[in-house]
Formats: sequence, C-alpha cells, structure tokens
Amino acid sequence: MINLLEAFKCMSLLRIAEEELAKLFLRDKIMSFVHFYVGQEAVAVGVSNALSPTDRALGNHRSHGHYLAKGGSLRRMVCEILGKAEGCAGGKGGSMHMIARDNGFTGSTPILGSITSIAAGSAFAQKHARTQEVTVAYIGDGASEEGGFYETLNLAALFKLPLLIVVENNLYAVNSKLLDRRSANYNAGDIIRGFGVAYAKADGNDFDDVNTKATELLAGVRQGKPAVLECFVYRHMAHSAPLFDDAQGYREEDVLEQRLAHDCLKKVKDRLILEGVTEESLSQITVETRAFVATEIEYALSAPFPNPQELYSHLYA
Amino acid sequence: MPKSRIINYTQALREATEQALARDTSVFVIGLGVSYPNGADGTTAGLKALYPEQILDVPISEDAVTGMAVGAAIHGMRPIVHHGRVEFALFAADHIFTQAAKWNYMFGGENHVPIVFRINVGRQWGNGPQHTQALYGLFGCALGLKVVIPSSPFMAKGLLSAAIKDNNPVVVLEPRWLFQTKEHVPVENYELPLDRARLVRKGYDISVVAYGDGLLAARMALEIVGDIDVELIDLVSINPIDEDAIFTSLNKTRRLLTVDTTNASFSVGSEVQARALRMQIDFKSRPTSLSCPDVPCPTSTALTENYYPTMVSIANAIRAQLGLSPIQKIISFDDLHLPPEYNF
Repeated sequence: MINLLEAFKCMSLLRIAEEELAKLFLRDKIMSFVHFYVGQEAVAVGVSNALSPTDRALGNHRSHGHYLAKGGSLRRMVCEILGKAEGCAGGKGGSMHMIARDNGFTGSTPILGSITSIAAGSAFAQKHARTQEVTVAYIGDGASEEGGFYETLNLAALFKLPLLIVVENNLYAVNSKLLDRRSANYNAGDIIRGFGVAYAKADGNDFDDVNTKATELLAGVRQGKPAVLECFVYRHMAHSAPLFDDAQGYREEDVLEQRLAHDCLKKVKDRLILEGVTEESLSQITVETRAFVATEIEYALSAPFPNPQELYSHLYA
Repeated sequence: MPKSRIINYTQALREATEQALARDTSVFVIGLGVSYPNGADGTTAGLKALYPEQILDVPISEDAVTGMAVGAAIHGMRPIVHHGRVEFALFAADHIFTQAAKWNYMFGGENHVPIVFRINVGRQWGNGPQHTQALYGLFGCALGLKVVIPSSPFMAKGLLSAAIKDNNPVVVLEPRWLFQTKEHVPVENYELPLDRARLVRKGYDISVVAYGDGLLAARMALEIVGDIDVELIDLVSINPIDEDAIFTSLNKTRRLLTVDTTNASFSVGSEVQARALRMQIDFKSRPTSLSCPDVPCPTSTALTENYYPTMVSIANAIRAQLGLSPIQKIISFDDLHLPPEYNF
C-alpha cells in the first residue's frame, strides 16, 4: 500500500491543474480541444501507483491525468495545450496528444478503442524483450463499444500479452447514456472473461479500491494473463470544454450532489483526517500545489510559440 | 553462389523478407496465413519453419492485428503486416492512415514507426468489384506514409528491403498481376530508394509515366510502338511523388502520357497531370492519360476485355501524340486475362 498522502498530493495536482486550465480557457483564447478529467483522478493515480516506473501506459482524448500520474511534466503539458514549442509534442498535438516517453507514458490519441491494440503492441514488444514489464491502455466505456476492443481482447489472450486495459466507465459516450447504447442484458464481465481475459470492477471514485484491484490484476498481467479493470467514475464536467453542463439535463445518477458526495479527492482527504493527518497540513498541500500550477501556467503563457517553419518538420523520421 | 539469378516477383519478396528476418530478430511478419507452407501467395513460403517466432498467423481481426503491429513498431520492433487484399486492409484504415502515418508528426518527432504494410492490389481474373481495387489515390493522399509500387521482381526485393530498414511507415502496394513475372535479381541484400522515380528507358519524343502493372504494359508497348523515342518513367513512389524526375523529363520531351491501372477519377495519373500543369511546360502536344473507366471492375471476361490499358492502347496513345495513325493488333484471350509470365 503506497502512502495515501502521496496519492492525495498527486490527485490534488491533477485536479488543480485542470481547474486552473479551465479558468484559463474561459479567460483566454486557447485553441486546443480539451476534455477534462475532473472527478476521475482516483483511477489514473490508483493505477499508476500500482505500476513500476518502467511499465508503460497509453491514453485517449481525456488523458491529462494519465500523463501526470505517470510522471509527465506539468510544464510541458500546459505548453502543449497552449501550442508552445516546449510542449510535450512540440505544439503539434495539443491536449489530446500527451506523451512522456521517459516516464513510460508513450502516447495518447483520440480515436478511442484503437489505443487498445496499439497498447497490445507495446505489450507484445515487452514480451518479446522478455521483461517483466506491462502496458496499460486507458479507454472509456464508449470506446469499449468499438470492434477493435473486442478483437484486442482475443489477441491479448491468444498471445498472452502483459496488457491491462482500464475502462473508465463514466456513464456517457459524449452525452449518450449506457442504456441507449447497450441492452439491459449487456454484461461486460461475461464478455471479457469469455475471451479468456481477467476482469474486475472497481469503484473509480475510490483510490483504495482502484489501487487494490489494479495491484491484484497486475500480478496476473505480469505473468502474461491480460486483464480489464472497469472503474465506475463520475465525469464532473462536460464531455469537452471547461464547462459544468448540468443544465443540459442528460445526467440521471451523477447529479451535482452525488458527484460531490462521492468525490474521489474528498474521500482520500476524509480518510487521511481519520488517520490523524491534520486539516491544516492538507490545506498546505493544496496551497503549495496551486502555487506550483500557477507558476507553470505563467511560464507556459510566456513561453515561445514554435517557429512557423516547424509546420513542415517531422512528417517523416 | 551466383551473384544473381532469375526469380519471380513473389520469390523476390520472400527473399527480402527472409534476409530481414535473419539479420534482425525485431523484424516479424504478421497476417492471415503467413505461416502456411505457401503463405501469402508464396511470399512467406517455408519461413515459419525457419523463423517460428517471427512468423505470426493471426485471427481475421485486421483492425487489432494491424494496431498491435503499429504498437510494436512504436515500441521498438519492425513489423511487416501482410494484407492479402486491399479491401481487408481497409478494416485497419485507422491504424494505417491515422495512427502510424501521423504518430511521428503529431508527437513532434522522435516517435518513429518503423512498420511495413504489404498490401496486394489490383487486377486478377475472376475476382470482381470487391477483390480487385487498388485505391492508389487513398494511399497517395495519406500524409506521413511512404507508398511504393514495385513494378518488377528486382524492384520488389530492393524496395521491400528498403521499406523494412526505413524508420517510417511504408506501404508496399503489390500488384498481384505481376506475381509471375521474372527477372535477374541479386542474391545479396540490396535497397532501392523509396522516394525516387526510375528512368526505365531514356528518350526524347515523349515521357510516359507509369507504375506497377501499368509499367509492364508500357514496356510491352515499346516493342510495337514503332520508330518513336519514348522516355519511360517508373514512378515507383506515389507518396511522395518524385516531382523533380517528372520535371526533368518533361522539360526535355515536352510530351506526356500517364498510364493508370486504376479508375480515372483521383488516379495517380491525374495527380501527375496536375503537377505537370503547374510546371508550366510548353507542351508540343496535349498531355493524355490512360486509365480504367469509372466503374468497378466486373468479373465476366466479356466485361473486362476493355477495362485495363493494354500494350496496344498505350502504343496508340503514344502514336496519337506524335500524329501517327493507330496500329492494329489483336491481343489473345490469355494475354488479356491471365497474369503474364513476362521476363524482364
């Protein structure tokens, strides 16, 4: 069990970074699509804390949290979102293309389920190199409805790949509800286990539960038994853009009171206080994190844009 | 051991593959049936026995199989993905066009994807509308890919060897019409440039730009065209297109004929013609093109008889630009419809 205080720090970083980014979006003209991760932080941090630094992870359109939790640089992330030269993808990718190869976060792409087979390829390479390392692919419940996901389950089981697919089920594909997309009899566990892939559910609003389940599954994954961890989470903000969109009226279960009552950050904080950590020291962490985020955003705002000639670079290796 | 000997197109592809498998264990071949004794039309024949770990038969899951190969390439391996027909490769369109092709660019460089997509395309008797597409234009417009079309056994070995060593995603479009053609091919490994057109025959009267199986028809046309000094260019790469080579040739001949073995609309020839127009060449005669009509390729030989450009239609298109009357020559049923066992 990792230090819960460290988890709180990391989750605070993810939360505050996005809160400040949201403000920046509303204040300035940020020309990069952004999908906020607010509310889902326990998943990225819970899974990352079950990984070793040399394990790999790949993500999706909503991957600021996955990138930061794996150790990606906040400065390079904000620079990327602002289209600056120092961005983690040199300004060519934007918010949906986080990458920090040195930290094992080897890329995020917004074409949903396709990242599962790319991650399977990473696991294939790890197996080929006879390491004990694993690869994690983060997708959403919507992406798990694409054919490539099911094909990948079969391949992963067939080739005994050290692959963990984390499905963050936030109830919506954009704003489409689960029951508008699946029959009432749809059973993810039955389907996934049917491929010969291990499956577990976790309360994605609970760091401990995610971390424990991920750790359990990863023991098998390291032995070549691929797995899926489905984490049930609440997406606090709109599918895309820095907005709280309750006025849209599509939410049923995850209304504001429920989201606040089950907020993952609040849960960790309550537990730390129960364990004797003072409210003041937690507030201090929040203050320090906010100051750090402010510094990095300030840096990114004044950082140079790429030279216009960079338009033509990197088409080929 | 001889320095070179005559082998056919599929043997040439197999040899390039085997030499790569032998020198680099990060190279592997993945695709349906590549482990069969006569796998992938013979291009992987017998390789499973020699390199069991590097030859992977797979389920018919083109999307995930291709994605897994792309992921392996991103993370240090050198996969060769085989799609026996382009129609099946389209299941993997995301991984070819959107993932592999864009990966290095969208992450700002230093994120190479050294993968080869071997895809069979084009004409074959009896295969009809859903088994004979080439879709060259689709591959030509997908930026970030290198796309080559080997026009002979010698080209096939050298281009595939280069594709495997290249650090970019390379699509090798293999016209199955050429599979039985033969040529002297060096035994040793060699590589040919992936982005350069090849001057097949130097001439001064007209530039004929062709590729793949259309190049073979153009070569055969030279045998019957008469006393015309034709410059024949094998385009080799359709992504990127070697504009310098086209310009150099047109500047000299000031006449252009393009030959396609795909439909007229959005064809490779259309692209070459458009570029030639922008080069502001003072043409001596109006540039012309030959291609397939804008309908799918049907199955009945009664309907495919006039579908593809032939040595005769190419020879006459050349003659027309020089103001010469057409020649009359009947092509036999077998020569029209069966893959040629041509010796280059």
